[in-house]
Order: sequence, then structure tokens, then C-alpha cells
Amino acid sequence: MARAAHPDAMKPKSPGRTRTAPPMAPGQFPFAGRYRAYTLFDWTGIIYLLLGFVALRVVWALGNGEGAWQSIQGQLENPLYLAFHILSLVSVIFVGVRFFRLFPKAQPPRIGPLKPPPGPVIQAALYAAWVGVAGGLALVLAGGIF
Amino acid sequence: MKHLLLRLEPVIWLLFGGGIMVGTMLMTAWIAVVGLGAPMGLVPADALAFERAHALGSSLIGRIVLAALIALPLWKGAHHTRHVFIDMGGADRDALVAPVLYLLAIAGTVLAIAAVVRL
Repeated sequence: MARAAHPDAMKPKSPGRTRTAPPMAPGQFPFAGRYRAYTLFDWTGIIYLLLGFVALRVVWALGNGEGAWQSIQGQLENPLYLAFHILSLVSVIFVGVRFFRLFPKAQPPRIGPLKPPPGPVIQAALYAAWVGVAGGLALVLAGGIF
Repeated sequence: MKHLLLRLEPVIWLLFGGGIMVGTMLMTAWIAVVGLGAPMGLVPADALAFERAHALGSSLIGRIVLAALIALPLWKGAHHTRHVFIDMGGADRDALVAPVLYLLAIAGTVLAIAAVVRL
């Protein structure tokens, strides 16, 4: 049974005699050219982290009873929360669009005996799922259904 | 620590991928209605009245959706925030930063489960 390799398993015990150039970031890194989208995609992580904890706070308040629920509803009207949620919505849409564009390209050529569907079909399915799930949940939350 | 993080990488990636996929789909609606629509008066006032919100949230499907909506974005957030630190020159501190971020995601996940159980 193969064991996981140690991350430094291939590191030489002593530095070699060949001099190597120190690692350098590409000229356009991190905010120019093609690196901008990559860097922004990473930075949305901070928004998602905050968003998760804000959602936790809202759901926790719901469990604390009507008074706490009314209080958190009032707090969400604060311009800072509104600005944060506008930034969050932009981030979430950016992440969705970028990820769903990359997802078909990341598929293996075969999955067992099957070939994955063509990229545009995968992408269309992802967008349909996004619209369906988000639209359905928004309708439920906004009182449109149920 | 580096070795442990590498061993946990498949689990972390599963939660990170779930955070992007499920978190993005669910969060779009959550932000649009709870974060913006209701506070700005764009949705009917009784849509998020306590009785209705509690009834929706405390159903089985409601609890699962809320737990996923809170927990999965935390994992996406933790993993990408780790990479922000690495990309901005913090690779030397990754063994310290990564566990802190993942512990934050674990704590948030446990609290998310507690939050939906107590509804």
C-alpha cells in the first residue's frame, strides 16, 4: 500500500552547486493583465468568509426569537451592511461566471467509459442550475411561493 | 503541519468546491432577498416576518439549505484567503495562516449546524 509522500521528499539534503535565479513574480502580477481576474477571484475569499459569518449571525438571531430577529432585520438596513451586500452580490456573480467558464475546461477527456458532454452543454447546465436554484430560493424567501 | 495540510487537501478541496458551486448558487438568492431586498423594502414586508422565516428555516429542507448556505462559503473563503496570503508573499507563514483559516471554517461550520438545530 503506497503511503503519502512527504512534501519535502524530493528536496536535496544540501543545496546544489548550480546557482539558480531567485523566484520572481511576473511583471504584471498581481493586478495587471491576465492576473487581475485571478487575483480578484482569490480576494473574493475574504468576502465569502465574511458573508458566511454574517449569514450565521442572521440565522442565529432567528433562533433567538422574534425580538432578536427584528433587531437583526433593523441592523441589515445599516448602509454599511447594504454596501457590504452589494459588494458581496458582485463578488458572488463574478465567482459564478468565472468558475462556470473554467469548469468545462477542467473536465477529464474520459470518466470511465463515458466522455463528458461538450463544454457549452456543461456550461449551459451550470447556468440553468444557477438560475433555477437562485431563482427558486429567491422566490421562496421573498414570499412568491410557499 | 505542511504534511497534515497536504493529507487533508482532498477534503478541503471538496468543501472549497462545494463553497464555490453551492455557496454561489444559494448566496445569490440570500444576498438579493435577505441582504438587499428586504432592508431596502423591495420585497413584501411579511415575506421575512418572524413566523414565516422561522417556519421556513426550521423545516428539514430549510435547515439543510441554511447550513449549506453558511458553512460552504466559509470553506471557499478560508481556502482562497489562504491563497491571498501565499500570493502576497506570505508563503513562509502558510503553516501558521492555513490552520487558523481552516479552524475558523471548522468553527463556523459547527456553529452553522448548531444554529439550524436550535431553530
